[in-house]
Amino acid sequence: MNIERMQTFDTAETVDVVVVGTGAGGAPLTAELARRGLSVVALEAGRHFALDDLTPDETDAVEINWMSERLSGGDDPTAFGPNNSGRGVGGSMLHWGAFTPRPDRRDLALRTETGEGRDWPVDPDELLSYVERVEGDIGVSGPTPYPWDPSRTYAYGPARRNAPANLVARGCDALGVRWADAPAAVLTRARLQDHHGERGACVNCGECHQGCRTDAKASTANTYLPAAVAAGAEIRAEAMVHGIELDARGRVAAVVYRQDGVDVRQRCRSLVLAGGGVETPRLLLHTGLANDNGQVGRNFLAHGATQVWGRFDEPVRGHRGYPSSLISEDMMRPADADFAGGYLVQSLGVMPLTFSTTLVRGGGLWGRELMQRLEQARFMAGIGINAECLPSDDNRLTLADETDEFGIPRARVTFTAGENEKALDRHATAFMLRVMEAAGARETMVLARTAHTIGTCRMSADPSDGVVDADGRSHEIPNLWICDNSVFPSAIAANPALTIMALSLRTADRFLAAAA
Amino acid sequence: MPVREREDMPPVTLYLLHALGASSGSFDRVAAHLDARVRVEGIDLPGFGALADAPDSSLETTVDHVVAHLARHARGRWMLGGHSMGGKITALVAARILRGDAPLSGLSGLVLMAPSPPRPEPMDEERRARMLSWAADGSLSEQDAETFIDQNTAEPLSPDAHREALADLQRTSPSAWRAWLETGSRVDASAEVGMLDLPVLVLAGTDDDDLGAAAQPGLLASVYPRARFVALDDTGHVIPLERASEAADAIARFVDDEVLLGPVVPDDWAALIAGDRVDARVRGVLNRRAVPDDRGYAPEVLDVAQLTLLREIADLVVPQDGPAIDLAARVDAQLARGEGDGWRNADLPPDPEAYRAGLDTLAAVWPTDPAERGEVLRAAIDGTTDATGPLDATRLKAWLEDARNDLVRQWLAHPASMARVGYDGFATGGSPLRGYVEVRLGRREDWEPAGVGGTVATGDAA
Repeated sequence: MNIERMQTFDTAETVDVVVVGTGAGGAPLTAELARRGLSVVALEAGRHFALDDLTPDETDAVEINWMSERLSGGDDPTAFGPNNSGRGVGGSMLHWGAFTPRPDRRDLALRTETGEGRDWPVDPDELLSYVERVEGDIGVSGPTPYPWDPSRTYAYGPARRNAPANLVARGCDALGVRWADAPAAVLTRARLQDHHGERGACVNCGECHQGCRTDAKASTANTYLPAAVAAGAEIRAEAMVHGIELDARGRVAAVVYRQDGVDVRQRCRSLVLAGGGVETPRLLLHTGLANDNGQVGRNFLAHGATQVWGRFDEPVRGHRGYPSSLISEDMMRPADADFAGGYLVQSLGVMPLTFSTTLVRGGGLWGRELMQRLEQARFMAGIGINAECLPSDDNRLTLADETDEFGIPRARVTFTAGENEKALDRHATAFMLRVMEAAGARETMVLARTAHTIGTCRMSADPSDGVVDADGRSHEIPNLWICDNSVFPSAIAANPALTIMALSLRTADRFLAAAA
Repeated sequence: MPVREREDMPPVTLYLLHALGASSGSFDRVAAHLDARVRVEGIDLPGFGALADAPDSSLETTVDHVVAHLARHARGRWMLGGHSMGGKITALVAARILRGDAPLSGLSGLVLMAPSPPRPEPMDEERRARMLSWAADGSLSEQDAETFIDQNTAEPLSPDAHREALADLQRTSPSAWRAWLETGSRVDASAEVGMLDLPVLVLAGTDDDDLGAAAQPGLLASVYPRARFVALDDTGHVIPLERASEAADAIARFVDDEVLLGPVVPDDWAALIAGDRVDARVRGVLNRRAVPDDRGYAPEVLDVAQLTLLREIADLVVPQDGPAIDLAARVDAQLARGEGDGWRNADLPPDPEAYRAGLDTLAAVWPTDPAERGEVLRAAIDGTTDATGPLDATRLKAWLEDARNDLVRQWLAHPASMARVGYDGFATGGSPLRGYVEVRLGRREDWEPAGVGGTVATGDAA
């Protein structure tokens, strides 16, 4: 990103669009709107990270995560921080796992199929055309042909299969389950990225979640943001938005952010919120906007992400290589399902501190048993899921009484797995145990987990049922748009980033069409 | 636990850097007194001792020389130290090691004798000029060397020590003598050195002037927060020659009390950390985590009773065989820095408050008999405790989940723990970056410590 030569806008100027957030939701739209000639300022709470600023050390690497505390309640409190929340130019794409399954058409019409959840008020073909465009923009590796979608091609050969992937493959083969090398936004050969420069090929260091130091993993910081800057957009880092001002007609006139301890007002003709499933609703609840129908913060969704680990005789050392290098989509609609939706399956390698946290929080371990498992960790391979989650009135984000370092009330998220989530988890756990046993595991261990922050500002055709319309525009404030995973009407089993970016490009087009 | 090469070898080596006009031999007496307790090795600096012919005695070259020497020789657990001028070199070398900017690991403590501080050394300008005049026309004369010894000692040296000091002074390179007095001693290295948080012993004489016992705390307290200052009575500036026996005793006590604590990183892992597969930033943080804990750690968030209880809980949650890391102190320091994991259970107060409340709740039911503690903790972790206090059973359970997580993460962040669990992913740096070529089951690469398990593939199979 050529920050030195970046066009900047005066805060006294009224820019066409202010975008809050530079991750998967904000960046593609920022690039697209700038390319189409609009004046765009993207505000980012975190700082810029050069490749040299990133570190494989798990303790230090949390500087790319959103570490300002969030409160998590309900029967199944979901973990934030390094588990799913990013901060920095590039947002959560600095730490994301780069696992890029495409959204499944059936998931986009879950209510039609099952009477549960919500349909997406989006044409699946249209969304998938944007998905393909994103894959081209960022560079995705994967197998061609793809077993569950023969029409699909990937521009780069798959990432190297690591030891956990080979073991899970062995188990799948024994059970007759189809598997494939995983689609991953990780380059397997170097690429010249427009407006950015050369991105290296993956070196199999296994440290995707700590921030990729070779640029092999796509983030918005090495794709859409350099393109946005080249097209004339301005990125303002370390700018925490805490206020939104309306004009007399009730339309957004400006945002107020704090930078270096000083409050700054940026006037704008339109505002796009892209802070993710926690920060977007938090800002709206804090400012009290776009919420006459009380929908902001509702329907928080988290993917079921239970893991099963098997212990093998030989060293697995799954911290080596792309962590999730195997996928199976065979469980997207299992024949014996007693639940709506389905789940994606992936092989798992893991970094040691992350694994220890899962042992403690997901496995309840301590003492001799904990130490024994840590010593055995190098002999363990994992299998995990990303499972559908249905909306519930009880699962929502509200504001806590306590405030953060900016004086904004902290987010409080309540999450309790419902019957459908429990049925999914039972099915998935039994399936994963079978795979690992068939792979030859000496023993197995189940570790509970949830992942991703979805919902809270959902998209709805019916203005009483959500926060934004099918285009991503607020039901209540015509020049306010939302473009991130908070608008997802249902969780869908696919890991969200690819779909968020596709939605971001779509929202940009819808925005331009509305302005025309 | 790592086994020493030979059972009769001392557990730790102390590398010592000499004073202006001295040599590595100036520490022979201290070495003899320490004998089996600490192995002492002096290092000649450029322009002095056996290296009197070295052309460049600048501070930078001297630091590089010491780093290179240590890289060749320092293994296992080792300490660095220096006398007078050598003290400033020590600070600069230690700063590089703890920043990760030197190909070294294993530094566990510092021993300083009447050290010159990182900031410009306080020195009377007339004295500086007089000393410079001694080397204006070449090497120091015997008479000037005698004057120097006389001015820097409280009592006459033993005849042998006197003779050696005299010889060292007279063989000192005049340019090295001038380089220190004109430049090295005047350099303000305080920003470069920063604060070095590791065990430090400072010996100083009561009859020394600018670098004496009375002056040292003011010169060094901000540099070494853990400095233990020991004053030597009737002692001038030349501690290793004047008070070898007393210095050796103080060093031995210091080593036992503050240095031989916690686990040692095995040699092959230490070499990996020191090597070029590890980036400076990662090497720095691993080196800092490997520094022995402060036995006298004063808690910042907890009170002493709470810290003690957290230590007892840590022993149960993360039982450590062999020398233990003080996980409870590290968690207290983490809380003091305001570092958490980005979220907390909504029923709990902020982390520092939750820790205090949780510990106070457990304290009420905590058995004095260690054998009974496991069951009490188990009930608390399971949410079935009958303890009544600031946290109810549900909250106590939630807090203990956080506490268990913090404790195990502190354990695993230590390089000795990484070695123990066979994790070498920190060694994926360098330029160009190197990850793994071999990611298959049962295989390792030739650069990896054998302890990670698996076999190295060779030839066509690789």
